[in-house]
Amino acid sequence: MHGIRRQQEREPTQDELQQAKQRVDRYRALNSHVMDLKAKSVFTKDSLDATKRLLEQNTELHTVWNYRRTIFTSLDEWQSQDARQQMLDGELKFLLDIITKNIKSYWMWNHRMWALSSLPRPEWQRELALVAKLLALDARNYHGWDYRRFVVAQLKDAATDKHAVDIQEFAFTTEQINHDCANHSAWHNRSKLLPEILAQRDEDGQLQALQTENDLILNAIYTDPDDQNAWLYYDWLLDIQKSDADRCRLLRNKIAMIRELLELEEDSKRPLIELVSAYAELERLQSGSVLETEKKECLETLRRLEGIDPYRIGRYTDMSRTLSKQWALAA
Amino acid sequence: MAETFATDAKLLVDKHVEFIQNLDKKQDRLEYWMTEHLRVSGIYWGLVVLFLLRRPHALDHEQIISYVLSCQNADGGFGGHTNHDSHLLYTMSSVQILAMLNALDRVDGLRVTKYVLSLQTKSPMTTVCGDKWGEHDTRFAFIALAILSFFNTQDQLDVSGVVEYVRGAMNYDGGFGSKPGGESHAAQVYTSVAALALAGRLDIVDRDRLSSWLAERQLPCGGLNGRPQKLEDVCYAWWVGSALDILQRRHWIQASKLASFVLSAQDEKGGIADRPGDVADVYHTCFGIAGLALVRYPGLEEVDPVYCMPRSVVEQLGLDKWQSNVPESWSQ
Repeated sequence: MHGIRRQQEREPTQDELQQAKQRVDRYRALNSHVMDLKAKSVFTKDSLDATKRLLEQNTELHTVWNYRRTIFTSLDEWQSQDARQQMLDGELKFLLDIITKNIKSYWMWNHRMWALSSLPRPEWQRELALVAKLLALDARNYHGWDYRRFVVAQLKDAATDKHAVDIQEFAFTTEQINHDCANHSAWHNRSKLLPEILAQRDEDGQLQALQTENDLILNAIYTDPDDQNAWLYYDWLLDIQKSDADRCRLLRNKIAMIRELLELEEDSKRPLIELVSAYAELERLQSGSVLETEKKECLETLRRLEGIDPYRIGRYTDMSRTLSKQWALAA
Repeated sequence: MAETFATDAKLLVDKHVEFIQNLDKKQDRLEYWMTEHLRVSGIYWGLVVLFLLRRPHALDHEQIISYVLSCQNADGGFGGHTNHDSHLLYTMSSVQILAMLNALDRVDGLRVTKYVLSLQTKSPMTTVCGDKWGEHDTRFAFIALAILSFFNTQDQLDVSGVVEYVRGAMNYDGGFGSKPGGESHAAQVYTSVAALALAGRLDIVDRDRLSSWLAERQLPCGGLNGRPQKLEDVCYAWWVGSALDILQRRHWIQASKLASFVLSAQDEKGGIADRPGDVADVYHTCFGIAGLALVRYPGLEEVDPVYCMPRSVVEQLGLDKWQSNVPESWSQ
């Protein structure tokens, strides 16, 4: 249970106790009824209806979702494409009605995927539009994003031009990021699509794509230098560069950018830690490329960070020790 | 680095024990019945609390064992309650309960193994599903490895295939998602890292990147969140803490601040909530106390960071051998 505030408790009235007892009795009766039907393997429209009434009250009863699916597939109508289409369209509507009760229910999302996968004529584009609406309400809902990836995979499967689907998805993430560059879920999704996009391009196209990517992430960093995710994405872009020379060039750009940011605010935690990790990586890639003064600056920066960000002292002292050893400097 | 827990707040041991003992008495509450489907997990969470608080006999063991055994189905798996469909989540809780109560011999390990193996799929990729309906998730990869380790049947699973699945769930931030393509989330980080520990493939982890990401979960209030921009929640004391423990980077967060946060989420009547002022529940009581045990809060039994069970139980069963899978360079 999450986010339920404690209330001041007073003694409930007789009326309230009665009502509470009735609610419990009603729920238990319905639950027993459904479980009884299940035990007897009753697969009828009536048992289907009973499961619906129970699931409306409690979406987390995965055994009852299982039973409901079994009833569907056992009905005579299931054998007819049209009847099945109609039943499952109804099911999708039912799920949409109750999804707002608990938008983070694994069981409901699973059941939706089952319904879509069982439909004779699934409308994947409509699902895509639906999940876009959902993500507009809650951009970080990972169930929504997982479901979106499921839908896109189906679209890709059915598509003649699979690459076009990737491009469309990539554009969706661009839209999300332009709307809010702190949307980590969009950046994450993008990180899964970018390699596919790059793989389809020639060398020039790849360079262009990476440059665009670089510009986008720099914009995110300048918008909020404290956004840890933006820096992680930047480092990942470094990882996927073709050569160490490219990496070193980007690291030097990173350092220059950090110095700009530090001029605006000299005790800014994230730019400071990124400065140290940039120099450390630069020295690792190209031994001797980092000056003694810069190395000393790194160790001094780590000491400053212990004061600026005391919760992570353990990390900074570990880094000091490691770098001192690597660079043969006094800690 | 010894931690001092300078705080006015105390861990309300007696109150939490009472809270656990009273859980089964709340049958006048609708919520009791609405959570029947995960009763077995509720019992596991409650037992973890009691064992870590050194009051393991505050609940009747024989009664629990009978109940758990009644949750086993013909397919060899366990449901969350009697006559509920089998699922790996509840099979895991059942096996963990039996292990803690020294009753693993009351169940046929081969039957349980057979159930777990029946959930392995090869297409579209090698992975393990939660039940026969096909949902896959790094949680289930971990659970499969963990359950089989209890019966020493791990090598009947396609371990390297499962490892590839977990590797596929690794992201640019060093974290892990629910499945390949899934966004990093602390709970999935725990299950993925724990799975890799059991499989002997911790070399796959980007230790520095992931440790940093985990350390950043600690917010100014001392509590931890599950991913950036999200709220602190007591249960992350476990999900984040255990992963950091396996990575041997526990000291990358402030234990005393975390402890203060967890203690402030206690209900003075017993139980721990997700955050201060909220309603307590057995799940957050379990992971809050397990989180405190990880940072060696005084008066608690040590907890194993892979199994979320008392270390003494894990050692007795010979299950602490995952520790030899930790890369040597990590202990330097």
